[in-house]
Amino acid sequence: MDAGRNSILSQCSKAMRADPLMAIAAGVLALLLCVGVLGPLLPIGDPTAIGIGPRLAPPSPAFPLGSDELGRSFLPRVVGGILVTFQVAATAVLLTGALGAVIGLIAAYYRGRVDTIVARLADALFAFPAIILGLMTASILGPGDLSVIVVIVAATLPLFIRVVRSVALSIASREFVTAAEVAGASPVRIMAMHMLPNLMGALIIQFTYALSLGMLIESGLSFLGLGTQPPYPSLGSLLQLGATYLAIAPWLVFAPGVTLALTILAINLLGDGLRHAIDPLPGRALK
Amino acid sequence: MKRPVVDVRHVGVTYVSGPVWSRRVTRAVDQITFEIAPGETMGLVGESGSGKSTLGRVCLGLTPATEGVALFENQWIGPKNKPPAGKLAVVLQNPEWALNPRLTVRTSVSEPLAILRRGTRKDRFDACRRALEMVGLDHSFANRYPHELSGGQRQRVAIARALVTEPRFIVFDEAVSALDASVQTQVLNVIKDLQQLHGFAALFISHDLAATRYVSDRIAVMYAGTFVEIGPARSFYARPIHPYSRALSASAHDPEAGAFALRGAAEDVSTLGCPFALRCPMSLARCHDERPELRDFGPTQVACHRAEETLLEERQ
Amino acid sequence: MSEFVVASDLAIEYRTPRGAVRALDGADLRVAAGASMGLVGESGSGKTTLGMAMGRLLPSNARRVAGSLSVGSQSLFDLDDDGVASLRRRQLGFVFQNPMSALNPTARIGKQIGWALERKANQREIHERLQQVGLRDVPRVAHAYPHELSGGMAQRVVIAMAIARRPRLLVADEPTASLDASVRGQILELIKSLQREIGATLILLSHELSMVARTCDVVGVMYGGRVVEAGPASIVFNAPLHPYTQALLKAAPGAERPGERLTAIPGMPPVLIAASVGCSFAARCHLADETCRRTRPEVRHLPDRQVACHHIEAASPRGGAGALDPS
Repeated sequence: MDAGRNSILSQCSKAMRADPLMAIAAGVLALLLCVGVLGPLLPIGDPTAIGIGPRLAPPSPAFPLGSDELGRSFLPRVVGGILVTFQVAATAVLLTGALGAVIGLIAAYYRGRVDTIVARLADALFAFPAIILGLMTASILGPGDLSVIVVIVAATLPLFIRVVRSVALSIASREFVTAAEVAGASPVRIMAMHMLPNLMGALIIQFTYALSLGMLIESGLSFLGLGTQPPYPSLGSLLQLGATYLAIAPWLVFAPGVTLALTILAINLLGDGLRHAIDPLPGRALK
Repeated sequence: MKRPVVDVRHVGVTYVSGPVWSRRVTRAVDQITFEIAPGETMGLVGESGSGKSTLGRVCLGLTPATEGVALFENQWIGPKNKPPAGKLAVVLQNPEWALNPRLTVRTSVSEPLAILRRGTRKDRFDACRRALEMVGLDHSFANRYPHELSGGQRQRVAIARALVTEPRFIVFDEAVSALDASVQTQVLNVIKDLQQLHGFAALFISHDLAATRYVSDRIAVMYAGTFVEIGPARSFYARPIHPYSRALSASAHDPEAGAFALRGAAEDVSTLGCPFALRCPMSLARCHDERPELRDFGPTQVACHRAEETLLEERQ
Repeated sequence: MSEFVVASDLAIEYRTPRGAVRALDGADLRVAAGASMGLVGESGSGKTTLGMAMGRLLPSNARRVAGSLSVGSQSLFDLDDDGVASLRRRQLGFVFQNPMSALNPTARIGKQIGWALERKANQREIHERLQQVGLRDVPRVAHAYPHELSGGMAQRVVIAMAIARRPRLLVADEPTASLDASVRGQILELIKSLQREIGATLILLSHELSMVARTCDVVGVMYGGRVVEAGPASIVFNAPLHPYTQALLKAAPGAERPGERLTAIPGMPPVLIAASVGCSFAARCHLADETCRRTRPEVRHLPDRQVACHHIEAASPRGGAGALDPS
């Protein structure tokens, strides 16, 4: 970690100027998000209005992405799907980030037994496959957004704990932390004022990866019918629909599939770009 | 006699490491006793592994002593009972990480006061400005971030932060070792001036005897966890007595150092007898069997069986 | 004696996102074959850049902007990639500051010595090499991994690898900086004796004057990307001519009397972003005048040394003797 930078924002903007791919990814992501958020306001139709058109009709000027099995225009449903998938994943990941950061900081600050217990628990959770967890949770809590959030939290919490803990461990040994301890700073003050701000970079990077993972989980669970319930669209449930009617209405699979892939790709590229900017790996071609 | 600021009595620190089936016991500090009077700077010279940093941490209450007692102003200190905030401060080795990169100089320097909740924000910023002036930095530095400062400037800010609560005791742990030669002298001069101005007691830990004797009143030389020589700084300008002190003094300044070359490597510590015996150019059989005690030779104490001979040589 | 390393008005820049940094700003150096030269300088003086340039070991953002550097009779910056590789293999040996990062942590020592030798070496040869650098219990060391050795032992291994092919040029960059004070003397002695044994030319980079005075025959003092003074060690240290050398010797603790105050050099070493106008030490020099600020001093070749200063007559030799003689 470089002791030299002082603003995440300036690092990010510098990174975008240097790496066009990352800038494009960020742009695409922003576009998709805007479309999703502004969806209800755009003149694209009502995602829940049933029967306004022919069933399973191919794309036409009236129905730009065709219509689904209940005669709903597909375009607004896809747009709605973007928003729902993103919202659920983002909520879950923000929650997890906060929780993981606190746990990781405590483990790194107190070390010893506390740290060992936390590390082992995180490993155990990490070893559990997300889908199995999903099925278990859905059977207890019932299918729906809550189940999905719980699964995303469980699947991404270990990632956050690990990253925060490892960065925090190296920060905890830095001279300015020792100086603060000697000056009488309380553990909370040290964690909040000295450790947390210095791991924001790592945290943000982890956030982007966890977000893409969260979106995949949400779509996966929705595909299995355990996630977002009708009539609300989710990219996953739309994909499932497309799969069912693949033989007769193949266009129904493209829009949600492409959108999902594009969103996750954009998030990953953005995350990679951020990682190179904030925490570059040293490399040296000799001449 | 004023009571000592730091009073260390028979302190030992033992680390146990390794897995259950092959435990390793390391004795980092072995039966050390010394005092630091108010306003006195004591130098602690030794190499890596000598235990000097561990001893420094014990004096700050960061590391517990596994034996013996460490007192600060007559109060027992350790990680479970830290001394009152604001009375102690520390300046460490690495200027790169001496300051929190996310905080301005002003915030970093006034933080010890904020912890004490002393005064208003304005009072704290005034104190910060005064502290910066004392270390030779003008107030325009207050708004800067650490990455805008050079190594020497960062160390000065670290010193300013150490002074801002007017502490009774400061530990300098290799505070100038990572600085360029010309900057080292600047910072050593700052420390010397502050000693006069401020009157804090200090422990100056270093592997560099020349820098240490420039700023210290008394010096203790440490090897393998024990003191081998302890005496007034003046006596380290002339020839010190213990062979290890002589080797350190010689290797630092004298191009014709061949006469006092040490054998072996730093890990060659003898467990029976004098810990230095395996490397000492003047060791006898007795040195391998019998551990020398610290004995008085005027104002200096030396732990060496051949100290008398060395002194006689000096006088000839 | 022929000159083995010749740098002539060498200027090298690093391109960084914040602009160019001029690490070398017209460095002139001549080292005779078989000599031991110590390059002394603080951070930003350019000594590491000059040392690394001798092996074309500069990072990819480094550019030579002027001057030349030749080792043996080969001009380094004219070599193609094969030429560079061959040069490094046959002529150069490097010892870096941190032995732990110079050794491969996943391979045993014996294997790494084997890699350093040109052909397949048997165990006996490997053990001989390790003995040559003063290691005891050689079979154990050969079988060990780098992290199992102490700093001093690891550095000896690195030295063994550096001299394995009897290079003609040995460059040691702060070889004892990460080692304990008590071991430093031994390692320097080792480097010196091996250098003489294989007849190589030694370039020792250090920020420590006393170390260089002890180990090297010839000394070069660097400041602001140039060699400001160079000559036989005893002459430069006992009677320095350049104000920077004088100030450096006066500022170092070690030679002062008890209670005497050291005169620190005011200010900080410069970071050059372009060729310096005038002398780069002018801002900190007590002798500086308009000429110094306006015109770069040329390197003057005096009978006993080279020096780059406008005020040679005024800066009479003084202050150096005390630095070496703790009486």
